[in-house]
Amino acid sequence: MPPHGENLGFLAKFLAAQLTADRIKFWRRVFFGALILVAALSLVIANHHPHFGYDQYPLFWSVFGALVGLAMVLLVKKIIQPMIKRSEDYYGDL
Amino acid sequence: MATSSFFHPSVAFLMMAAILPFLPGNRRWKWLLLLPPLAAIYAAFNNQPGDHLTLQWLGQTLKLGHVDSLSSIFAQVFAIMSLAGLIYSLHVNDKGQHVAALLYVAGGFGCVLAGDYLSLFAFWELMSLGSTFLVMLNRTPESVRAAFRYFLYHTVGGLILLAGILLRYRLTNSFDFGPIASGGAILPDWLILIGFCVNAAVVPLHAWLPDAYPRGTVTGSVFMCAFTTKTAVYVLARAFPGWEILAIAGTIMAIYGVLYASMENNARRILSYHIVSQVGYMVAGIGVGTAMTINGASAHAYAHILYKGLLFMGAGAVLYSAGTQRLDELGGLAARLPWVMVLYMVAALSISGMPLFNGFVSKTMTIAGAAEAGHTWVALGLELAAVGTFISVGLKLPYFAFWGGKPTNWSRELKPIPANMYAGMAILAILCFLQGVYPEILYRYLPFQAAVHEYHPWTSWNVIQALNILGFSGLAFYLLRKVIAPHKALNLDFDLFYRLIGRTILFFICRPLAFFDNIWTNVWNAVGLRILKGLGKLTSVFDLRVIDFIVDGSARDVKRVGQLGALAQNGRLQQYLGLAVFLALVILAVLWYW
Repeated sequence: MPPHGENLGFLAKFLAAQLTADRIKFWRRVFFGALILVAALSLVIANHHPHFGYDQYPLFWSVFGALVGLAMVLLVKKIIQPMIKRSEDYYGDL
Repeated sequence: MATSSFFHPSVAFLMMAAILPFLPGNRRWKWLLLLPPLAAIYAAFNNQPGDHLTLQWLGQTLKLGHVDSLSSIFAQVFAIMSLAGLIYSLHVNDKGQHVAALLYVAGGFGCVLAGDYLSLFAFWELMSLGSTFLVMLNRTPESVRAAFRYFLYHTVGGLILLAGILLRYRLTNSFDFGPIASGGAILPDWLILIGFCVNAAVVPLHAWLPDAYPRGTVTGSVFMCAFTTKTAVYVLARAFPGWEILAIAGTIMAIYGVLYASMENNARRILSYHIVSQVGYMVAGIGVGTAMTINGASAHAYAHILYKGLLFMGAGAVLYSAGTQRLDELGGLAARLPWVMVLYMVAALSISGMPLFNGFVSKTMTIAGAAEAGHTWVALGLELAAVGTFISVGLKLPYFAFWGGKPTNWSRELKPIPANMYAGMAILAILCFLQGVYPEILYRYLPFQAAVHEYHPWTSWNVIQALNILGFSGLAFYLLRKVIAPHKALNLDFDLFYRLIGRTILFFICRPLAFFDNIWTNVWNAVGLRILKGLGKLTSVFDLRVIDFIVDGSARDVKRVGQLGALAQNGRLQQYLGLAVFLALVILAVLWYW
């Protein structure tokens, strides 16, 4: 809470209260629950317009999102950036 | 300059830019700033299709007001964005910034409504000048340098465009600005294409953008992110639809932009790289060139201007309030700047293509159009970029700016954010949401109405597909949030080569000059000084006897003239540029009323 006891709006109060371990655990559960829900729904609802061949298979887009995301972050941060990284004032201005 | 059915929005912006410096300084003038955008909104929705404001010059017919379905949709979103942008910048006292923004926006409208290459080029350069000032007026040494680089780069791009226009004129005897068939393309067409691609930030010509935009003023970058690249998208859509090379270039841009956005630390540079990525979707849509993908590109440009403006406003608000845009120095601010966070998230979800927001109805149209036209790889590349978009702009930036795994930072000094900044953001956030929920309010203005009914965004499968892609890329971010944590660094990009080229040219100019300068100095020391000394002795006698008597009075006048002269040639780029814009506008006005 703010040190001076200033008045906070409802949104600020709500957001400040979400940073306890309990609330973080709660939001994590909500997130994983939502993931399971949308993955399950993609099994129920048919894709009438597969464009790429593989996207006719169930859970294609869930796997696509996760794998592409993981691969992209690892590629960028572990391989590309170490090669092209320089100090912030490499060109003489920050 | 208005006919019964047409009003040129640039006129309102130019007039405002002309009178603003002379208004008294009691801040009440700020409300007048809202008049040009309101006039522009009225004009954009009411101008009748056709060629307006034609004028004869050098035996050519210049068409300043070409209105059709493609120019209308761009004029509309430009008008809305100019209103939101000016509201966002109402608190700024610096008239110079407002004049620069007004000139810049006037240039944008001029380009979009230009019916021939000559008037297009004139407004194209006006934009380049206005935006240079928007960077420079941030008034830090680094932004002045960045503005200079920006101006040099756009001047070169503009000259390539001009060369293309003039060569094309020699071959076709016309300045008509219309579609160019990709089959029989000749050199001038390629030069024009390159000139356009510079402003569209097509990789590898893009590096001016992440160099300049993060260094612009908080409010100036909001304008720049909306107009320059989207004007370029418009001219590409008009002149080069169906050019296969653009489909490839656009896909590369879409992926390249998100890769850099994922490693950057500077919030507004992340967003800048992300403009490259987003404009890639539009360029790819134009390159595929079917009615559906041109519609998709136009819809995406419309939606993009709204949410990218909002993203820059949000990041700008954080910079304004916290004094830094480096993510590693931020964090723990969600409860301190709650509404900035919410408004930013609306834009972040829009750009990521989350259902309920406008990116969902525009991005998916381009991708589906590309896939249906048989460009499977383009569509797949754009889906890849969509994952990177959500991770970099939708999750990484807000997470590290507002949370970052840190407790709420109650002790940090935050400058209060003026209400007008919130108002500007709220307007765009509401529009992002409305267009997402009611796509018709966007689709009804698309250029190819017959093709609009081929695509329906709100099917249950589209929603589930989007939620799966976004949800599981969110999972990837969650698992790798420690790996992606940003830190201070400069990531080399193609501007390394621009700087090399610049230095090489400078080297080849400076060396001979320095050589001749040296010789001249030696000659002068040996001969000139001796002669001068002799002359000096003679004149001092003359001076003592005759001149002192006459001159003392006039010396003061000479000094005054000298000071004026020194003021005029102090090497300050901004004053020369300002003078150039002023003269160009005077010449235009003279021509118009001749």
